[in-house]
Amino acid sequence: MSAALDRFDPRSDGVALTSTGEAGDFFELLKPRVMFLVVVTALTGMATAPGSVHPVIGLASLLAIAVGAGASGCLNMWYDADIDAVMTRTAKRPIPSGRILPSEALAFGLTLSIGSVLVLGLVANLPAAAMLAFTIFFYAVVYSMWLKRWTPQNIVIGGAAGAFPPIIGEAVVTGEFGLRSLVLCAIIFLWTPPHFWALALVKSADYARAGIPMMPNVAGPAATRRQIVLYSLIMAPVAVLPALMGFGGLIYLVVSVVTGLAMIGLSLRVLRVTEGEAATKACYALFGFSILYLFLLFAVLLAENAFGLMWALPKVIG
Amino acid sequence: MSGKDQRPTPPAFSPEDMARRRRRSVALALVLGALVVFFFVVTLVKTGPAILNRPL
Repeated sequence: MSAALDRFDPRSDGVALTSTGEAGDFFELLKPRVMFLVVVTALTGMATAPGSVHPVIGLASLLAIAVGAGASGCLNMWYDADIDAVMTRTAKRPIPSGRILPSEALAFGLTLSIGSVLVLGLVANLPAAAMLAFTIFFYAVVYSMWLKRWTPQNIVIGGAAGAFPPIIGEAVVTGEFGLRSLVLCAIIFLWTPPHFWALALVKSADYARAGIPMMPNVAGPAATRRQIVLYSLIMAPVAVLPALMGFGGLIYLVVSVVTGLAMIGLSLRVLRVTEGEAATKACYALFGFSILYLFLLFAVLLAENAFGLMWALPKVIG
Repeated sequence: MSGKDQRPTPPAFSPEDMARRRRRSVALALVLGALVVFFFVVTLVKTGPAILNRPL
């Protein structure tokens, strides 16, 4: 076999130059499930924005936003490979499992980050591109490199990165940052702590082994449970705001109230049931339902605004 | 003989590794092709139909 095809550099004590990772492994680096949620929330930001955009430009922008989100996920996996390796939930990711080299992931993430911002700037506008760049920076640098290993408020502040896509979506349409996308951003921001802390309560041993100061490990399970309830109590009314501001219709009002009450109910169950298998089940129930909750809110808003399914309500606020 | 020369010969790609690399290269080519189409379509939309009405 030709020396050019050797997997390892003969000059560097057998250090691999390239991996045998396949396209699917690289796709996994982009955190496809997070990307899907980003696409839904950014699209909702576009759909609820006052104005319209050419469908091809909208689709191209959405692709750039999705790739940008994936790039930040990739950079996160590159930086966190050491702690991913010691956590059961993340040990099978492409880098800790050896399918992709860290250097490959870094190059992949940086290339996609720069490419997605440039494309969004060319296809849509500068404010949208600037916001995407800030989102990638916030997730990869502020959250991954700084907050995550430093403070139990890591996912609270870092959650902002996941909350920005609706703002980027609105900027694609209007070229500005408006109040509607800010409300959508607030919903995701307030949703993040109950969602992640429900999982962190169950996986606290995992996080402790990795040395990550998650809220249950630092403040204790009881304080975390109280904060989950507190965030849910604030989040549920904020999630109703789109209906009161006129960009969510009757279906949204009903869905946001009913599912918001369910979120509060499941949070209270997490607060009450603290021992044994039942406590684990309560946490998983909240974690699982929180994903459905956010998806439902944005899917209904999207259906109402993009597909004409809106039974308009009188505007109360804004 | 110096210490540098005593290093073991590093392993090369196996045929299975080569097949995986080939699949990866094909996927990369497809993505690059899709990007060409993407930029072409977006350019047409951004510039509008007038792009076809330029003097030759």
